[in-house]
Order: sequence, then C-alpha cells, then structure tokens
Amino acid sequence: MNDIMTGLINVLSIDSLFFIALGMALGIFVGSMPGLSATMAIAILLPLTYSMDPANGISMLASLYMGGMYGGSILAILLRTPGTPAAAATVLDGYIMTENGQAGRALGISLISGLVGGVIGSIVLLSIAPFLGRVALNIGALEMFAVAVLGITIISSLSAGSVIKGLMSGSLGLLISLMGMHAITGIPRFTFGSIYLFDGISFVVALIGLFSIPQALKLIEKDQELVKASKIKDKILPPWRLIIGQRLNLLRSSLIGVITGLIPGTGGDTASWFSYNEAKRFSREKEKFGTGHVEGLVAPESANNAVVGGALVPTITLGVPGSSTTAVLLGGLMIHGIMPGPTLMTEHADVAYTLLWAVLISCIFLFFIGLLYTKVAVGITRIPGRVLAPIIVLLCVVGTFAVQNSMVDVMIMFGFGILGYFMDKLSIPVAPLVVGMILGGMLDTSLHQSLLIGDGSWGVFLTSPVAVILLVIALISVLQSTPLFGKVAALFKK
Amino acid sequence: MKTVNFKKMFLTMFMFTLILVLAACGSEGADGASNFPNNSITVIQGFDPGGGSDQLAQVTQPHLQESLGVSFTNEYVPGAAGAVGWTRLAQQSENDGYTISITNSPMLMTNYIMNSEITYSLEDFEPIANVVTDPGIIVVPEDSEFDTYEEFATYLEENPGELNASNSGVGGDDFFTQLKWMEETGLEMELIPYEGDGPSWQAAAGGDVDASFNNLGVVYPQVSEGNLKPLVVFSEERIESIPDVPTAKELGLDLVSGSSRGYSAPAGIPEEAKQTLIDAFAQLEDNAEFKESLENLALPMDLKLGEDYASYLQAEEEAAAELWENVKDQYEQ
Repeated sequence: MNDIMTGLINVLSIDSLFFIALGMALGIFVGSMPGLSATMAIAILLPLTYSMDPANGISMLASLYMGGMYGGSILAILLRTPGTPAAAATVLDGYIMTENGQAGRALGISLISGLVGGVIGSIVLLSIAPFLGRVALNIGALEMFAVAVLGITIISSLSAGSVIKGLMSGSLGLLISLMGMHAITGIPRFTFGSIYLFDGISFVVALIGLFSIPQALKLIEKDQELVKASKIKDKILPPWRLIIGQRLNLLRSSLIGVITGLIPGTGGDTASWFSYNEAKRFSREKEKFGTGHVEGLVAPESANNAVVGGALVPTITLGVPGSSTTAVLLGGLMIHGIMPGPTLMTEHADVAYTLLWAVLISCIFLFFIGLLYTKVAVGITRIPGRVLAPIIVLLCVVGTFAVQNSMVDVMIMFGFGILGYFMDKLSIPVAPLVVGMILGGMLDTSLHQSLLIGDGSWGVFLTSPVAVILLVIALISVLQSTPLFGKVAALFKK
Repeated sequence: MKTVNFKKMFLTMFMFTLILVLAACGSEGADGASNFPNNSITVIQGFDPGGGSDQLAQVTQPHLQESLGVSFTNEYVPGAAGAVGWTRLAQQSENDGYTISITNSPMLMTNYIMNSEITYSLEDFEPIANVVTDPGIIVVPEDSEFDTYEEFATYLEENPGELNASNSGVGGDDFFTQLKWMEETGLEMELIPYEGDGPSWQAAAGGDVDASFNNLGVVYPQVSEGNLKPLVVFSEERIESIPDVPTAKELGLDLVSGSSRGYSAPAGIPEEAKQTLIDAFAQLEDNAEFKESLENLALPMDLKLGEDYASYLQAEEEAAAELWENVKDQYEQ
C-alpha cells in the first residue's frame, strides 16, 4: 500500500507531469502519421532517457504509448488513412461520419472513447495486475489458436455486402500472412526465391497501401473539397447523453481491449476488430454498422486505448512483453538497471507503481492535448483534394520507408495501394483482408504447436476449457451468418 | 480567409515532409572508412525482445556506446531460430560496420547445416567477439511432479516418449541440446519448437508442455521467483547462482551445452571498423560494472575476440554438422 502512495506522489511532481504531457503530445503526433508509430518513437527516445530519472523516463514513454494508440484514429477519421494498424477498424464508421459531415462529432466520440478505454485499462493495471499476469502465463498455443479462429469469424460479419467477396478478401489476407520464412520450421513460403520476401510482408506497410493510396486516388478523381466536413459547426465534444447511452459498449470494448492486450503477441490491431465485431453482435441496429454508426466508432476506439493497460500487465509482472511497443519499453527498463520480471513489483516497487500511475494520469493529458490537436487537425478537411492527394502519397512513401528503411517496402506499399484501389472499384471489402493478415500468422504457428503438443491429434483442443469456449463461440458466429441459423431460431420461436 | 489558412496548412505539411525526408537521408551519408564510427550502429537481433539475445544487448550496448561514442539501435527480426535476422545481415546489409548482429552459437551454423533453403554460411560473417556462454538447462513447471533430474529420467525410462519439451526453435541451441541429451541418455521425448526462448519457457510455466530445454540466463528470474523448477544444468561446473542444481557431468553424462552469444558483422567490413569494434569489446574484460550486471543475470562471461571467436565458431560448426548427420533421417522435414 505504501508503494502505491509513493508512486502516486512521484507522478504528481512537476517534472513528472511535464514529461507525461510531453510524451502524450509526441505520441499523438507520431500516432497520427501513417508509418510513424509509438514503437518507433519510443525506440528513438530511449537513449534520451538514460540521463533522466528512471521513473520519469519510463512514465514519458508509457504516456507516449497511450498517445500513439489514440493518435492513429485522427487521420483515419478525417482522411481514411489510419496512422497505426490499431486504427484500421476506426475507418469503417469513423470516415463515413466525416463523409456525412460529422467530422467534429466523430473526433469527439473517438477522444471520449479513447479516454474511457485508457482509464479502464489503467485501473485494471493498477488494481489486479499481478493476478492477471498469472492468467496471461496460462494462455498457451491452444488458446491462441482458438482466439485466432474466433478472430477469423469476424470476416463473416465484415462482408455484409457479399459473402463471397468477403471470403475472397479474407482468404487473400490469410495467404498473404503466410508469406515468408515459417516461424517453426524455417522453411520459406511464397517467397519466389526473393530474399526480400523472407520476412514476409510487413503488416504496417500493407495497411498504408491498402487504405491511404486508394483514398489519394479517389480524392483526385473527384477533385472535390471535403465540403461537408469543413462546413461543420458541430461541437467536438459529444453530449453527455450519448456517452451514457454507450456505457455498455464502452465497458465491453474496453474489457476486450484489456484482455487482448494481455495476450502476448496480440495488441491494438486485433483488439479493435474484436470489439467492433462484438459491438455489432450485441447491437440492435446491426444494419447501421459501416454507415457512420456511433457504436461502430466507440468500440475500436475504446478497445485500442484499453490495450495499453492490458499489454503492460505481463510486461511488468512477468517481463514478457504484451505487444511490440511494450517490448521496447521493456528494453528501456533494463537499461535503467531494472530487470523486468516477477521481482519488479517487489524490488523496484517505486518505479513500477510510478509507471502504473503515470498510465492513468496520462489519460487526463490524452483528453486535453487530444482536444487541442483535433481542433487543429479538422483544418485538414479544408484542403482541396488535388493538393491533399499528393501530400498523402508523400506521407505514405516516407512513412513506409521509415518502417524498415527499405525501398522494397515502398514498392510493396504501392502494390497494395493498387490492389486496394481495384478492390474498392469492384466493391470487395478491404476489412476482411486486413483481419486475415493480422491473424494468419498466429493461426498457423499456434495450430502447428498445438498439434505437436497433442501428438498430431485434433482432440488436444478439448483439453483446454478456454479454447473450447472460444471455439464454440466461433462456431455460433459462423452459423449466425448462414441461412440455417435463421431457420433454427424460427423453430425455437414457435 | 480561407486561402490564407490553406496556404499555411500546406506550408506546414510541406516543411514537415521535407524534414522527414531529410531525416531519412541522414543515415545514407555515412562514410564507413574514415573516423569510424560517426553514426549510430544498428544491431539486428534474430529473436523476440525479452529473450536471451535481447538481455545481452541491454547490458552490453550501453558500455559499447560509452567507449565508441555512438548510439546502438536494436532491430528485432525474429523467426526460424534467428535465421531470418542473420540472412538479412549476411545478404541484405551494408558491410560498412554500421550494421552488426548478435550471433548465437550453435544456431548461426545449425540453421544452414539443417536447411538448404538458408543460403548464408559462416564465410558471410566477420566474427567480432563472443561475450557470454549461457549454459543449457532443463526446467519444469512449478507444480510438476518431478523435483529432481533422477525422478524425471526414471519416469522417461519407464514411459519413453510420454513427455514433451519446448525449445526455442528447430536448429536452436535448445533443440540441439535436447538432441545431444537424447543421444547421450537414450531417453525419448517429444520436441516442440517455439519462437524464441521467451515463448518456450512461458509454455512450460503455463503448463502447456512438461518441460523446457532452455538457457539459465533466460529462466533465472523465473527460477528464483519459483515459477519454474530447474532439474539439471549443462555447464562445466556448478553455477554459483543456483548452487543446488547438479550439472549433467556430475550425473555421469558427457554433455556440456549452451548458447554462446557474441557480435558479428557482415564479411568484408573495413579493417579499421573491425579493429575499432574489437577494441571496444576488449575493454569489457576489465569493466567491473559490466561484470556485475552479467552476474545479476546469471550469465557467465566468455570473452573471445576476433580470430579466437572465428575459430570457436568453426569448431562448433563441425561438431553440429556431425551430430546432425547422425539424427538427420529422424528429423528431416
């Protein structure tokens, strides 16, 4: 209890607050730019924290992480160019709202949802982290496989227009995710003998191409100002009533975010799709999703900020990074001479609790700095399409190059841009492709490991209750989207 | 009013882009030959963050940074027991000394010995220095029925192939330690590869597998906290930090195995760069602070510089090739 209070007092000092605010501002900025990520910014800033007090340095980086998760949505909403993979699901309803002239409202809802998600995530982190750490340890290959299967079923709900087109897009995503050297056996697949494809296709690179390039082309084709958006006089902050109305959605999505963050190897990109899918499943207005529906925006936005708290749980309690960003954070702790792992909470309790409080306090800065940044960002919508389009392309090229300093990646990005453009033209949904790419690798590796654990028997999945429950939910999801389900349901109604 | 705003906006965006482009160009201008190093050094890591290689990087690089005066950036390229990262170093990286990699023995060599698809070989590398040798270890979950190596071995004798064990990937040191161990003892166990040392011990701690062939330095925090039980360590002598754990040698097995971790550059880097790097590593020998941080991690220092390291890798390559030849038919993909 003492350590908790010491941590709070540490965080509330002037310099600590200053660094948290600085981290937040940087995070929101890099998050909003396609290709630049919080992970990258943390890696760059890490050497600067060597000379700082460890608690301040780590607090700044954690706040940056939180900011990055939120920042990705700003341009996703305004320009259909997600700044981070975690904001891809935000495009579905967020950008449509902008097209409908509700850019300000969409940004406001995104901000509030991010705030709520962040706060719920940090409260979980602050209160039951050690317990959840043990839970995270028990997530093995079997459970990972079940999570991946459940995730794949999201494709069915994302392909509302035409199931065939959705499945086509989803399978393409799965195939693309299998490219590169196989993680378990080391055998290269779909590399066409090219060394550049040995690492597979970077998800961030593909995502930039899929969303941003078609958007730039569309802007030129129409050459219209986003007139509706610039005319908006609507308040950014949504009415209190609306937030209260979304309380269940906010809570559910945040919890999904925390849990997804908890699982090592999955992060905001997965969480946002899961929560979108569940929001749709429980919604009374399913048909409105994808048409600028508030619920469809609230879900991914609260989930991806809640991930921060969840992902920090195994990082702090076990020394196992819950996402790529926390992996870099972990490196930061080690450099300060603090060995993450089971002993962190006891031996370095002051730093650990300062970090935990910093995550919570950073949410407050998220709100104010986010509000400021959004107000500036809305100005983008006043720029005519023919000017904006080349800027988007330029940002895409620079952002993609920055990911791995590779020109090959830039070519791949353009390749995906062309793919995305024609998919739009043929009205094949892009979202299933994205989901396929996120989950394909996890599905492949965890299945391979599970079958090895079970001596090649598929019955091995029945030995894990969690896996069974998740697989049953997946089965129900599949049945729900077949005509059969309607008939069975009708039968019961009689 | 509208135009003014637009111009301002455009100008800001333009300037920002320009800055980014210039920043991206910065690393291209490095001129490797003279006054090395004058730019940050990238370290390619073939494993997940949080594994053994990463630990080494975190304790070694601050000291290198001090003596060389440039920063070190880690680039994680996990997969295929490090082969993805090393292929990149051997075939896709500039040999100007600004890109180096943590090279693990025996994985560096076993990868291409076992898999013809992996096209690099030892000749593609310029070994700089070995830093540590992390002994192999068998750990079991805290609630495992086995408390000692004897119980574990007896059970396997009576129930061959009944138990499984995780390793850090096919061709990794733990995979090979397990092969050697099975050859030496005649016991049988299922091998389950994971993506790196971290996920491998997590599988054991979570009860997914019965045991994990791992490395002491990686599992030490979990062992000292009681999340994992060590059964036997494959080092020459007992390790100070875990005095109660017997070595395989004491138990009558002719088996010393582990993972050596050092740094290598791509072949053909400038002589000056190579010498500068070797000198920086030589300074670690007398660095008390460095030694202490290695002790905290239970990692025994094992400094081998330049030529020494190269011939050590050569010898390891021959040994691994021979072992693989013996068991190859069983494990060929």
